[in-house]
Amino acid sequence: MEAYHKPDQQALQALKDAANRLRISSIRATTAAGSGHPTSCCSAAEIMSVLFFHTMRYKAKDPRNPSNDRFVLSKGHAAPILYAAWAEAGFLPEAELLNLRKIDSILEGHPVPKQPFTDVATGSLGQGLGAACGMAYTGKYFDKASYRVYCLLGDGELSEGSIWEAMAFAGFYKLDNLVAILDINRLGQSDPTPLQHHVEIYQKRCEAFGWHALIVDGHSVEELCKAFGQTKNQPTAIIARTLKGKGISGIEDKENWHGKPLPKNMAEHVIQEIDGKIQSKKKLSPALPEEDAPVINIRNIKMSSAPDYKLGEKMATRKAYGLALAKLGHANDRVIALDGDTKNSTFSDLFRKEHPSRFIECYIAEQNMVSIAVGCATRDRTVAFASAFATFFTRAFDQIRMAAISESNINLCGSHCGVSIGEDGPSQMGLEDLCMFRAVPNSTVFYPSDAVSAEKAVEIAANTKGVCFIRTSRPENEVIYSSNEDFQIGQAKVVVKSKDDQVTVVGAGVTLHEALAAAEQLKKEKIYIRVIDPFTIKPLDKITILENARATKGRIITVEDHYPEGGIGEAVSGALVGEPGITVTRLAVSHVPRSGKPAELLKMFGIDKDAIVQAVKVAVSKSRNAE
Amino acid sequence: MSGEPRPGPSRLQALRDAANRLRVRSLRATCAAGSGHPTSCCSAAEILAVLFFQAMRYQASRPAHPSNDRFVLSKGHAAPLLYAAWAEAGFLKEPELLNLRKIDCDLEGHPTPRLPFVDVATGSLGQGLGAACGMAYAGKYFDKASYRVFCLLGDGEASEGSVWEALAFGSHYRLDNLVAIVDVNRLGQSEAAPLCHDTAVHRRRWEAFGWNTYVVDGHAVEELDEALWQAAQVKGKPTAIVAKTYKGRGIPGVEDAENWHGKPMPKDKVESIIGAIQSRIQTHEVLVPQPPIEDVPQISIAGICMPSPPEYAIGDKVATRKAYGVALAKLGGANERVVALDGDTKNSTFSELFKRVHPERYIECYIAEQNMVSVALGCAARDRAVVFASTFAAFFTRAFDHIRMGAISRTNLNLCGSHCGVSIGEDGPSQMALEDIAMFRAIPGCTVFYPSDAVSAERAVCLAANTKGICFIRTSRPETPVVYPPEEKFEIGQAKVVRNSDADRVTVIGAGVTLHEALAAADELAKQGTRIRVIDPFTIKPLDAATIITSARATGGRIITVEDHYREGGLGEAVAAAVSGEPGIVLQSLAVSGVPRSGKPAELLDLFGINAKNIIAAVKSTFAN
Repeated sequence: MEAYHKPDQQALQALKDAANRLRISSIRATTAAGSGHPTSCCSAAEIMSVLFFHTMRYKAKDPRNPSNDRFVLSKGHAAPILYAAWAEAGFLPEAELLNLRKIDSILEGHPVPKQPFTDVATGSLGQGLGAACGMAYTGKYFDKASYRVYCLLGDGELSEGSIWEAMAFAGFYKLDNLVAILDINRLGQSDPTPLQHHVEIYQKRCEAFGWHALIVDGHSVEELCKAFGQTKNQPTAIIARTLKGKGISGIEDKENWHGKPLPKNMAEHVIQEIDGKIQSKKKLSPALPEEDAPVINIRNIKMSSAPDYKLGEKMATRKAYGLALAKLGHANDRVIALDGDTKNSTFSDLFRKEHPSRFIECYIAEQNMVSIAVGCATRDRTVAFASAFATFFTRAFDQIRMAAISESNINLCGSHCGVSIGEDGPSQMGLEDLCMFRAVPNSTVFYPSDAVSAEKAVEIAANTKGVCFIRTSRPENEVIYSSNEDFQIGQAKVVVKSKDDQVTVVGAGVTLHEALAAAEQLKKEKIYIRVIDPFTIKPLDKITILENARATKGRIITVEDHYPEGGIGEAVSGALVGEPGITVTRLAVSHVPRSGKPAELLKMFGIDKDAIVQAVKVAVSKSRNAE
Repeated sequence: MSGEPRPGPSRLQALRDAANRLRVRSLRATCAAGSGHPTSCCSAAEILAVLFFQAMRYQASRPAHPSNDRFVLSKGHAAPLLYAAWAEAGFLKEPELLNLRKIDCDLEGHPTPRLPFVDVATGSLGQGLGAACGMAYAGKYFDKASYRVFCLLGDGEASEGSVWEALAFGSHYRLDNLVAIVDVNRLGQSEAAPLCHDTAVHRRRWEAFGWNTYVVDGHAVEELDEALWQAAQVKGKPTAIVAKTYKGRGIPGVEDAENWHGKPMPKDKVESIIGAIQSRIQTHEVLVPQPPIEDVPQISIAGICMPSPPEYAIGDKVATRKAYGVALAKLGGANERVVALDGDTKNSTFSELFKRVHPERYIECYIAEQNMVSVALGCAARDRAVVFASTFAAFFTRAFDHIRMGAISRTNLNLCGSHCGVSIGEDGPSQMALEDIAMFRAIPGCTVFYPSDAVSAERAVCLAANTKGICFIRTSRPETPVVYPPEEKFEIGQAKVVRNSDADRVTVIGAGVTLHEALAAADELAKQGTRIRVIDPFTIKPLDAATIITSARATGGRIITVEDHYREGGLGEAVAAAVSGEPGIVLQSLAVSGVPRSGKPAELLDLFGINAKNIIAAVKSTFAN
């Protein structure tokens, strides 16, 4: 990058004027809305002005252009100033700003991607920097393009651990195309922040995490311009000392003004005062980007060949995931994989071996891993698959929740589900993951029961919008589908069926295999059951389950290696309880499990073959008694 | 303490020998189990030996004694080493170690409180230090006692953000009774940890976060002893000891080698390895830990009662979030071990009302929800406090892993989540909790309160204080009328039938704002001559299935649920599951589907189909079918 050229006085004044216009817009919009965070906007006005009209390169009329510099507003409650900046840049009509927070406006209380200039939703603090890291990683290592990534953080959110996960990541991968701006305005929501204005401590922390860290007066456009002009071969943190409510007399640097709009009469007075500082009405235009982001295509990714497994072959679905992902990586060079130091357990290692340049080791920082994946997937630059033990995705539930609000298309694979992992004990067992991922809006939850369906799940996930979750298992189970079997989202498989079936059993993963064993055993006693593999738990194939339940006297038994709440049993109950004549019996893990051998645990928690046989017999005899 | 002599050569040798005995036991146990992490134990053998037999003061025969120093093994996969230390201390029987990981043995793969010397379960990395901070905070500020808290971390888990949240907390509150030891053994599970053996960077980070930090050779007992001794002299700061170690230390060919994480030694090699280690043992002196200073105050946290009934009149408009704050402040007056935590949302959750009257029992945790839950867990350990932690309900998703581990830790923790659902309005979806009921229902043993008025909110707080396990109280932002008289009795798992007549044709179940929508619907329908039964479940888990089924039967088997929550795992599915074994009951569930948006609360309740108008339509369609 070229050396720093100090802007002339006129340019500096124009930036100051723009900052004050952003202030005024933020105050107006929040007062009109009757809620919002004007003081959090005001501390960042100069930062936003310099970023948007001096430093960043982008096409203001085409905010999603892949070559544009990226901007992430991690302190999402300052949304009005983001909207004000896009109005100043000419993308939003000025009048629209006054519809802030209304039900029919896209200008929501916190940024969401229905705004074309918002790549990731923010508002849950501490998540923006991780996403920005993902964008910067993509820019540097996948796109190898000129665009840079800027992320504005508040000082309150610097208490979030996810920030320091991102800090470590950026330092480790030397993301020199990433700039974080820390708006140190001293005040949180209910109290001063723990470090108040101790900018030197922030600097020490950033440096310790491998960043080039500069302290500036965050209200000096000149200092900001200079700081943004510096680049090193490491990420840059600009620690901006600011005042919350800067420019609003009587409120500047005062407590108890967080998230409060100015009363109407006060707003008018304040706006006049700020307006008086503006010297020129001339609008600034941003510099244009270097258009060197490659043209790519991530649509309609197809595996080059059918799954290569034989019926009856023993294969863990976690391993099938790794094999499938490696294969998918050959089908499209924008498929990437991430893991959190569990790649030899989740088998994402198999992808890394074949596509080392597209594997991102995120170390033991699951929140950040999800944020990185979200960042990599923005603007459709990559198809991201991130894996960890299923239970450790609970660490990132907030990030996953926000990914749904961000309309992200990330794919997450959680291995080591359920008690069937055995000896490692409850801390390592995913027993709430189905519940968690089902509660993510627009998610697809795959629970493959053999290697063939696992491979299909990977391929389908790559082409499916929204958050996809693939739940894989540790034990080796038999392949039950032939290679040409067709799988679709929301389409269950009837695996065992006869005209004499008396009960429909729904199982998935290890419990599908237990159900199949139970069917075999019951057959010897002339009791016939139907066995269904739902393939996706969300959406659930209600029709297939209902039709088969009706063919088996309305009797359904669900069996799952998961807690009772929010899992397969409740999904089935929720889908069918409106239907007359259907009863559902649920077998699930009912309390905190423990260490032991997988088979011992399946038995202890009543989800093995014997438990199913028993439940079938009870169901059959219960209705006989009723008859 | 500073006057005590440092250990001489023979004592140091005895510590080295103890370390090697811990190694041997870890190798034997994992080999017998056929799984486990012996190499992660071996890197920390000297650290544990010096901690358990030089630095820490405790009664080995009474591991849960309140005056004992605390030890948290944050790198929980080194459990066999912890068990070995307690065997060395005489609390566990030697042969029991060989039952590691068996289904009928309490020595699980990772530490759980089935064992009396485990305060918090570990195994999900990066959580131990937060809990240790909570214990240290309780020791310094509540108990004002001499016990100290030690926490052993791995270097891999130092990548977890929750560790840095805990670091910031530890220095902010000047927890000089807290010592963290980082076992920098260089190797993670699948490759080297990001900082490898760069102890200087580790040190810089810990110092930047305000800790008094030493770098030592983690296999040199004299260096460890010196650093731990120094730590005890430092005032106003917690101490970190960055210990450079080797994974698999002492195992020929395995030490510092990759691909040995989580792998026991092969059966045919283990004896020769053990022989090599044993050859270094020079003494068989049984080391006895120093006894604790018994200065912990006697306390009681059982049977806490509110001094007076709720002070609300029917029809008063009060937000349940505010009633939570009022109730908590009152509860604090009833028992001095009630403490409150918040993550810089106290003026929204109303925990600030507690802070105003009991400032010395309020812990500001700033915007670090994971650490807040861990600190709460730590404070509640050994029944030292009755802990209530609050934030926006949506932000507890940040701490799902910590809450999950809280259940495995058998903690008694009370969490209050405010700002549930679309009814918060303009702030938009990032601030709306729509998955919190699902999350907390999936926590084993959790009680999920969802009070619908100020009286029931106050009752929920008191019940939670006296209930084992994790309790979650879901509070709402809007002000809603008080429904119950002050003397109304509430029990866990006991629903209230709020509207009831012989002519009821449908049972409608709502909670929080949707209960009030259901009541409005009932009023409107009554004008049209249609009666409905309205149920307030009070607790979503456990759910009062009996009342629901009885009501459903009395209303033609028809139930409508309505909730300000996503469909999955919420009230509707809870009810569906509860009635799914009952033929003849049909259920219609109204819930928020799809990501919501900003807008006015009433507009959003309408847009997402959970207001009175939608309930009326659902009631009508129910008997149209």
